[in-house]
Amino acid sequence: MPDGLFIFFAALTLGAALLLVLSRNAVTSAMGMILALVGVAADFFLLDAYFLGVLQVLVYAGAVMVLFLFIIMLLDTEDATGAYPWKTAALGLATFFLLAAGVLWLFHWSGAVSPVKAGATPPELSVNPAEFVTAAKAFGRLLYTKYLLPLEIAGFLLLVALVGVVSLSKDNPETNA
Amino acid sequence: MPSDLSSLVHWILFLPLGAAVLSALFLRRAGGLAAWLSTGVAFAIAGLSLKLLTSATADVTWHVELAKFGGVSLGFGYLIDANARLMLFVVSFVAAWIHLFSVGYMKEDSARGRFFAGLSIFMFSILGIVVADNLLMTFIYWELVGFSSYMLIAHYFDKDYAAAASKKAFIVNRVGDLGFILGIAMCLSLYGTLDFAALKDHAAAAKTIPVAVGALLMCGFLGKSAQFPLHVWLTDAMAGPTPVSALIHAATMVAAGVYFMARVSFLLAPQVLDFIAISGAGMAALAGLCALAQTDIKKSLAYSTLAHLGIMGCAIGLGHPELALMHMAMHAFFKATLFLGAGSVIHGCHHEQDMLKMGGLLKKMPLTAATFIAATLSNCAVPFLAGWYSKDAIIEAAYHGDHIAIFAFLSLAALATCLYSGRMIRLVFLGEANSEEASHAHESPWTMTLPLVVLGLVYSVAGGFLAHTIIPAGSLKPIEHALGEVAFHLAAPSTIVGLLSLVIGFFGALKFYGTVRGADALQVVSPRTYHLLEHRWMDGLYRWYVDSVQRRVSEFIAFLDLLIINGVAVRWIGGGVPAVLGYLTGRSFHRGQTRAYALWIVLGSLFLAWFLIAR
Amino acid sequence: MENTSLAHHLILAGLLFVLGLTGVLMRRNLLVVYMCLELMLAAATLALVAFSRFNRTMDGAVLVFFVITVAAAEVAVGLALIVALFRKRGTVQSDALTTLRD
Repeated sequence: MPDGLFIFFAALTLGAALLLVLSRNAVTSAMGMILALVGVAADFFLLDAYFLGVLQVLVYAGAVMVLFLFIIMLLDTEDATGAYPWKTAALGLATFFLLAAGVLWLFHWSGAVSPVKAGATPPELSVNPAEFVTAAKAFGRLLYTKYLLPLEIAGFLLLVALVGVVSLSKDNPETNA
Repeated sequence: MPSDLSSLVHWILFLPLGAAVLSALFLRRAGGLAAWLSTGVAFAIAGLSLKLLTSATADVTWHVELAKFGGVSLGFGYLIDANARLMLFVVSFVAAWIHLFSVGYMKEDSARGRFFAGLSIFMFSILGIVVADNLLMTFIYWELVGFSSYMLIAHYFDKDYAAAASKKAFIVNRVGDLGFILGIAMCLSLYGTLDFAALKDHAAAAKTIPVAVGALLMCGFLGKSAQFPLHVWLTDAMAGPTPVSALIHAATMVAAGVYFMARVSFLLAPQVLDFIAISGAGMAALAGLCALAQTDIKKSLAYSTLAHLGIMGCAIGLGHPELALMHMAMHAFFKATLFLGAGSVIHGCHHEQDMLKMGGLLKKMPLTAATFIAATLSNCAVPFLAGWYSKDAIIEAAYHGDHIAIFAFLSLAALATCLYSGRMIRLVFLGEANSEEASHAHESPWTMTLPLVVLGLVYSVAGGFLAHTIIPAGSLKPIEHALGEVAFHLAAPSTIVGLLSLVIGFFGALKFYGTVRGADALQVVSPRTYHLLEHRWMDGLYRWYVDSVQRRVSEFIAFLDLLIINGVAVRWIGGGVPAVLGYLTGRSFHRGQTRAYALWIVLGSLFLAWFLIAR
Repeated sequence: MENTSLAHHLILAGLLFVLGLTGVLMRRNLLVVYMCLELMLAAATLALVAFSRFNRTMDGAVLVFFVITVAAAEVAVGLALIVALFRKRGTVQSDALTTLRD
């Protein structure tokens, strides 16, 4: 029987995600998304990944979703009017259940993926698996030794994204940018 | 010793290829350089061939296998027997002097580089045919020679006539080559090999040889050597520059067919030989008469070539391939001289080719005239000149073999030869000048007259003597043997025929054609006969066939193609399947709705996941 | 916490993923579609962290770190594109953007 905390946060996450998918108002969807991300961050905490949890709240739920909200407000999309389309929502939920059943069957009940016992290290893991520690310091050390190259490349990627966004957003009257 | 000589052959074969490549790639603009390069190479090959001729006492062979399919081996190699050695020398020697002549003749031509590259590639091709030791290699070089000829005839490609003539030559040759390749296929299926030596053994062992083999291989000979019915291209090929006509269409390429027939003479059934003999003799007589109705000097010589090719074919048909080769060698010398002389005359008269507008050139161009007359006399088989040895031997062979009809035709041919020769001499060199250009004619430069002297005087006159001294005894055994079989004495029928033709024909023509000035005497006296001889009957026949029969058939086939292949196969099947599937895939899928695309992506990846993981 | 097995976390991740997928398929507002896409990504990171935890290794967690970084960059660029699209077309309803047709 899974932990109470886990069930609570799982329910929160799923509910928020449902709000995201089913609400007609874009801002309501954004709120739902933030809540879902907070729920995921909570699950990270439950999995002893504290650093990542904090990161998730700060970066994802914080910066990224705020950006989303800004854009929603900028584009000023009108809300859909009229009665709520229950039929479409039901169709959507049906699709969801179908897909969910498919995914669950594929990964849990079909036996193609075997369950792993807690604490066991699979033999065919990477050459030099990093030891499991929860401290942020250790995390940082890992980043700067074993994963230095991806770190540098990620920095470069952020630079490129920055340049790309600035050039895409240039408000140039002659060219329809 | 044999290995030394086979390396000689490598040089002989590949030097001109090198010259051609160099000229084509780098020397297109530097025409003069290309000219001297080709000429130098040609003389080098001539020297090497002479060395080969004088030092080889046995067959020289060399072979490398290129591919093996099943039990059949295809390779590249040389078989230099007596025939090959003689032919190598004749071809390269005549070609060398023609190259020298071209240097002077083509001096003002801006496309000299291309011309000499063409000459060099032609040398490579013809020498390849001579040295080849199997049918496939012969065929490949056969086609190369056809290509070189096409390229060179169309040297003045901006003239429609020249371009059309080169196409005609190539296409008519192609028709013959169809038979050739069928013959090769048949050889392969019957005997399992394409090697000449091996085929010879097979043929000796077999009781009878199927007629079809010889008949099909003969088709190539008909095309290349302009025999009936594929002779129509040779006169039009005169549209090329005169050296081309001299080299290709008089001395070497057309003789390649004769050489080939001699090479595979053991595969020719008696019926095939009979056909060749009769058609050759007939062509000899007919062409000789037609030469009387041509006013263009080159066309007249072309008909003369046709006549001589007929004589060569006849010799093969009579079962004496060595005599044919011997005549081919002699003919190469004096015909080349005649063509070069014509070139010199044309050059001197500022590109005037009509004989009726010439005249009195004996005084103005003495050297050209002397060599031309010497070669003509050789043509007429005046005793002890080169042409006499070979031509009379053939007439003699016909008589001794009791082939009366052939003997008659050949006699008629001899008479005709003397007639048109006399006519030519009279119109061109004797009498008074008939035009402005002729009266201002001057002798040609040394590059043009030296070849004339060498080829004309030296070899037409002294060929026989020289041959005996420099060629090792017994190395050209088959030819000497054949000559020995046919004995000469003054009372022999061939000599009688020859002398009669000379007196009646030659001197008669000299007199007759002097009677009318500025026009053809025969045309004046008997226009009906003239028209009969002048009209291109065979071409008319082909024209009718193409227009009435071939065009109808091809239009019908085109209609079928449009209806069945285009209509049914392409439109229905090619259009129907997409139309049916398109209803499912085209219309509904590609409406541009991104959500639908997303759905398909999802479904596709689910399928993929199932496929990879759960299966 | 040992009561919660790996399977539970994975099921949660899977359900979130499928929910996001449904949103992508069903919604017409491009911005909401994009958010659902990000939800799918978040579900994947959840699965990664779960595996990392239960295999006693940090490699999965570090990968998640990079995934978050890349996702942030991607969202920035994607939103810039949507803004540009809105400026050109005046709408972000995917039904109106059908010029990719046959």
